Amino acid sequence: MQATLDRPRVARIVDWPVMTSTNSEPAAVPDPRALFEEQAVPFLDQLYGAALRMTRNPADAQDLVQETFVKAFAAFAQFEQGTNLKAWLYRILTNTFINVYRKKQRDPYQGTTSDLEDWQLGNAESATATGTSSRSAEAEAIDHLPDSAVKDALQSIPEDFRLAVYLADVEGFSYQEIADIMKTPVGTVMSRLHRGRRLLRGLLTEYAEGRGIHATEAKGSKK
Amino acid sequence: MTDCGCDKAKAELEEYLHNELASNDAADIREHMAGCTDCSSELHVGVVLTEAVQRACREVAPENLRDQVLLSIRQIQSTH
Repeated sequence: MQATLDRPRVARIVDWPVMTSTNSEPAAVPDPRALFEEQAVPFLDQLYGAALRMTRNPADAQDLVQETFVKAFAAFAQFEQGTNLKAWLYRILTNTFINVYRKKQRDPYQGTTSDLEDWQLGNAESATATGTSSRSAEAEAIDHLPDSAVKDALQSIPEDFRLAVYLADVEGFSYQEIADIMKTPVGTVMSRLHRGRRLLRGLLTEYAEGRGIHATEAKGSKK
Repeated sequence: MTDCGCDKAKAELEEYLHNELASNDAADIREHMAGCTDCSSELHVGVVLTEAVQRACREVAPENLRDQVLLSIRQIQSTH
């Protein structure tokens, strides 16, 4: 058993191209490009998804991702192997978006927490259910919404909220990681995330009601 | 004020949902959720909301973007 388990390793060594040079350098330092392609490029889809939520259109998202990878590769030597590469890449993406990219955006900056009137928040939030049975109907309604409705709702909430929701809920970053990525205190991350999610919930519930899916109606009452 | 645990559960629901609580706090809330339909229905909406966002945001980058990225990395390296 042991011998068969060892065999692949031997085979790999045999497969290795024969070295013609006789220099006695130790095992070559991995080629940074190969390492980058192996470690960083697999995050392409995820970074593109984030870029789409930031820029809100595919052409700008592609430019942003392209620029992010170029910057990341140029700085790859500074990346400390063994630390969180995904968070590192998101930091570069977010920096690039905020510092470079947002300035030349087709759509102007969309506003931040303080720009949002309380009545706007209140309006969306008032749609959310309060009783247990209406809440389960609300959950049911949200669960059945088309992806396009969820995307539209995300697009319509302020950028700082949207980003906090995206980083927490889609990417699963911790509050501390989001704070590092967005360069804000953890308390700010929490309030953006909470308000963003409440707003989103209100918008989705409103949307569902507009389509005749009533959060207040008990399930099974139709037909 | 008699607190049956709802106040704490509601106040920390988001942190519970995002795995940001210390394990003993999370255990308190988990225990409360098991016996409180009001709080657990609120939690359920939160979970469904998270799942809806995750579903909607799944994206696949266009194939030409991958090619472009790989190409520009190679170009950068060849200039070094």
